[in-house]
Amino acid sequence: MRNIFKKIMLPFALLLTSTASLWAQGPKAPSSLTNPFVLVLSLVIVALAIIIAFLAKLVINSAFIKLNKDKKSISGSGLASVITIVGLLSSFSLFAQDKAATDAAATKSVATLSSNLNGVSETAFYLLGSVLFLEVLIIIILLFVLRAFLIVEKKAVVSATSSGVAVEPDLNWWDNLNRFKPIHEEADIDLGHNYDGIRELDNKLPPWWLYGFYCCIVFAGIYLYRYHVAESAPLSKQEYEISVAKADAEKAAYLEKSANNVDENTVKLLTDEASLSAAKKTFQTICAACHLPTGAGSVGPNLTDDYWLHGGGIKDVFKTIKYGWPDKGMKSWKDDFSPIQIAQLASYVKSLRGSNPPNGKAPQGTLYKEDASTDAAKVDTTKGTKVDSTKK
Amino acid sequence: MQVEKFYYDNKTVKWFAYAVMVWGLVGMLAGLWIAVELYYPPLSMGFAPTTFGRMRPVHTNAVIFAFVGNGIFMGIYYSLQRLCKARMFSDTLSKIHFWGWQLIILAAALTLWAGCTSGKEYAELEWPIDIAIALVWVLFGINMFGTLIKRRESHIYVAIWFYIATWVTVAMLHIVNSMELPISILKSYSLYAGVQDALVQWWYGHNAVAFFLTTPYLGLMYYFLPKAANRPVYSYRLSIVHFWALIFLYIWAGPHHLLYTALPDWAQSLGTVFSIMLIAPSWGGMLNGLFTLRGAWDKVREEPVLKFLVVAVTCYGMSTFEGPMLSLKNVNAISHFTDWTIAHVHIGALGWNGFMTFGVLYFLIPKLWNTELYSKKLATTHFWLGTIGIILYAVPLYWAGFTQAMMWKSFTEEGQLKFQFLETVTHILPMYIARSVGGLIYIVGTIVMTYNLIKTIGQGSFIGDEAAEAAALPKVLETHSKEYWHRWIEGRPMQMLVFSLIAVAIGGAIEIIPTFLVKSNIPTISSVKPYTPLELHGRDVYIREGCYLCHSQMVRPFRDEVARYGEYSKAGEFVYDHPFQWGSKRTGPDLARVGAKYPDSWHFNHMQDPQSMSPGSIMPSYPWLYENDINAFQTPKMIWAMRTLGVPYPVGYESQCNKDAETQANEIVARLKADKLEVKPSREIVALIAYLQRLGKDIKSAPKETKKVVGDAAVPGN
Repeated sequence: MRNIFKKIMLPFALLLTSTASLWAQGPKAPSSLTNPFVLVLSLVIVALAIIIAFLAKLVINSAFIKLNKDKKSISGSGLASVITIVGLLSSFSLFAQDKAATDAAATKSVATLSSNLNGVSETAFYLLGSVLFLEVLIIIILLFVLRAFLIVEKKAVVSATSSGVAVEPDLNWWDNLNRFKPIHEEADIDLGHNYDGIRELDNKLPPWWLYGFYCCIVFAGIYLYRYHVAESAPLSKQEYEISVAKADAEKAAYLEKSANNVDENTVKLLTDEASLSAAKKTFQTICAACHLPTGAGSVGPNLTDDYWLHGGGIKDVFKTIKYGWPDKGMKSWKDDFSPIQIAQLASYVKSLRGSNPPNGKAPQGTLYKEDASTDAAKVDTTKGTKVDSTKK
Repeated sequence: MQVEKFYYDNKTVKWFAYAVMVWGLVGMLAGLWIAVELYYPPLSMGFAPTTFGRMRPVHTNAVIFAFVGNGIFMGIYYSLQRLCKARMFSDTLSKIHFWGWQLIILAAALTLWAGCTSGKEYAELEWPIDIAIALVWVLFGINMFGTLIKRRESHIYVAIWFYIATWVTVAMLHIVNSMELPISILKSYSLYAGVQDALVQWWYGHNAVAFFLTTPYLGLMYYFLPKAANRPVYSYRLSIVHFWALIFLYIWAGPHHLLYTALPDWAQSLGTVFSIMLIAPSWGGMLNGLFTLRGAWDKVREEPVLKFLVVAVTCYGMSTFEGPMLSLKNVNAISHFTDWTIAHVHIGALGWNGFMTFGVLYFLIPKLWNTELYSKKLATTHFWLGTIGIILYAVPLYWAGFTQAMMWKSFTEEGQLKFQFLETVTHILPMYIARSVGGLIYIVGTIVMTYNLIKTIGQGSFIGDEAAEAAALPKVLETHSKEYWHRWIEGRPMQMLVFSLIAVAIGGAIEIIPTFLVKSNIPTISSVKPYTPLELHGRDVYIREGCYLCHSQMVRPFRDEVARYGEYSKAGEFVYDHPFQWGSKRTGPDLARVGAKYPDSWHFNHMQDPQSMSPGSIMPSYPWLYENDINAFQTPKMIWAMRTLGVPYPVGYESQCNKDAETQANEIVARLKADKLEVKPSREIVALIAYLQRLGKDIKSAPKETKKVVGDAAVPGN
């Protein structure tokens, strides 16, 4: 009777503990759960804990069966009780660890609130990882123990049948996991329905399926609570703002220590082969769509003549590429190319001057006279006035 | 008790089986065609009906409504009669149902090729065909419930619960989503606009998967799997729990197709959580199928029917687990708009629907012709070809989807986008090639099956009316005190219908009604103005050519998308979009902010020869846009329709609209002329350029203040 009682109660107790710990995590430590990686790991940990508890239950049950069958053997019962205790302890201590781990993760990842994927601190990661590892280890041990029991049982069955008493073959862990009835007992649960020869059995719901369903429902509750009641998790727009702020900080930190920090005020004409050939490649795949591979111009203006719509100095060309002239069809390329790449492109465009490609588009804009010594040419680009006004 | 003699009608089953085989091949070949077009664009041959944008709806409609649709009817007409111990209610209705459905399919194919589309995925068909579908569906319902009423079996089996839920839900979905205002015999505009249209569409789209591709096939599984294995159904309780949970929960999950879009956050969250809760009910079906095979696994090794059914049920389990995972926001941020989704649906389509249909065919044909299957060996060959085909189809696409998403999201350390959009496309072309090989192998398998079945038919003799006998239905249903509570409803099909309708109506109502009524869900943006008449024409061209099948119009609030396309999309931008054009796949870049990004001449050259403007592009060319004129005669009707739907055109604008269209067209023509491009102002390309140049412009031109949300302004269309 005790056995049956346990059978019924254990899963419920399990469900309660698991849901309780989930609830505890939900509102209390939202920052750890905002990290999807931590969230996934925690969920896996909970799932494994459930599996462990379930296996532990199986081990306990088989231990009891063995105990009943093997009353004389003291060592057997001893083993069973030891395993029972170990199983129970391990599953409970696991919950404790579980909680500890997520709490730790919570404190660690406050700084990197709701970053995607890589916002987990090392400590949290290793903590979660070791909990996972431990759980897997325990599962393996439990499976071994269970197998040992089953072998003992099998032997008992063999000896029983050989002694002439009909004993049913035993159910393996899979059957137990699904609470299968042995096939030869099927008649007991046949409902007597007959639809064009199709009968129906009254098997119980597979426990893992049922508890899985409950877990999903609990997940749904927590999810809605966190996003729309506690508002402790960022909605899409907040998520966007967080990611942009983070990216800006990273970018600033990078540019500070990098030589890539050129803008329209500091850019210099580049003449080295490497820069120009890199730019040539980009030009011929991207810019060629409007300016043709030769720079002769089709949709966009001819880049090989001396006439420029928005100024022909290196700084002007850099600016044109960087910010674009959207009303005239030139898009801004600052999100596509790095400052150094834009400098290379601008230098390459400058290098095309006078190449006189066939079918060049008629000159547009105003004449620009190159003066190597002045790159600081001030151009009123919107009016397209002459650029050589600042000639020395 | 008196035993009655009667005959099962096998003729209708036979005709539906033929239709399955024919349409299956047509639909799959259309799929192969567009799969090849993705890496070999010249296959569209400059001919409108064979371009991707028109072939893709032909493919999806053919496999969903023709192949699977006929498969459903084949399975239901066979199993329903036997489960009810009664002939179908009316042979005439069966005939009308069969021929009506085939005519609908034919009309659908022709109109889709001709470019008549409502522009809503999986609901592309125009209003006359929509009405025909509703009528045929009602006739099918009468036939089904007539049979149920004159049944000789006291209780209805779980398969029939699923048939009933299918019938009532599909009717509801189809009617609500197809609400449209016709302006001509083959052109109409969706009654809903923007966000609301998107919500209704994906409520429909998702549940078309649920109640056209899933529940009827679960019903078929519950009949054919235990029959083929000759084993009792594993758990009656599981049937009850998973049936009700499935139909109740499924309906809510539609918004998971719209995560991170302009749909209100609360609706997105509902989509996510209900998808997660769906895992268990979906798996309930898989478990009940697989566990039914307990003690019969040796038969699976021998029997091709069971092999197909087992893989089908397994694929069902895989895709119903993957689906909820894709509904998690952090996964969806990667998978959405990529080929991952395509791979996911094909596990369902090729594995679950395809293999289930094949299994049923292998089971039915020998029975109907009273013979054995011509060759088990060929069936096994088909099984392996199909399985390898699925793997070879799906794995490259998973890879492609994941890779492309990662490339889209890559930034350099300097904070620039690492890859141009086109680079991410050309990078995955080898995967597209592998996928088409997988699809080809699958089709070869189907051809092998067709040959095998034709041979089987040849060696048997068809039994048109199969004799059977059963006791009449008792006047009063006997109830025993010990019986399950659920047995009550199993004796009452009409009550089952009503309860199913209630279960499926709740979710949709809770999500859709507030989105329509609560104005804060779609904050108005005052700078967003209705389209000009020429832009409306251009939009019609955009819809007709199926541009939305490769280009989204929805910039999600992600760093990479804002950097690549511009400010993320707001709900208020779409209030005049009948229908919405957010799209669900980005084979090409997003177009929500393409307006004014390129000069008119760029678009002009690009539609004529995409590779000239973006070398390596896989977009087909659209030469007919330069020869066809827009239908100026229709402009006033378009304006009238839009005003009727709530777009604020001034009264009497109908007399002015064509003049405005001409003025705008002449401006574009003049700009093109400046770039040495000559075109008549009446050509479709001019209208399309006008529309494309408008996209996203309203919000760009808005001064900062007016961009602010004006919550209390009226939302047109409500």
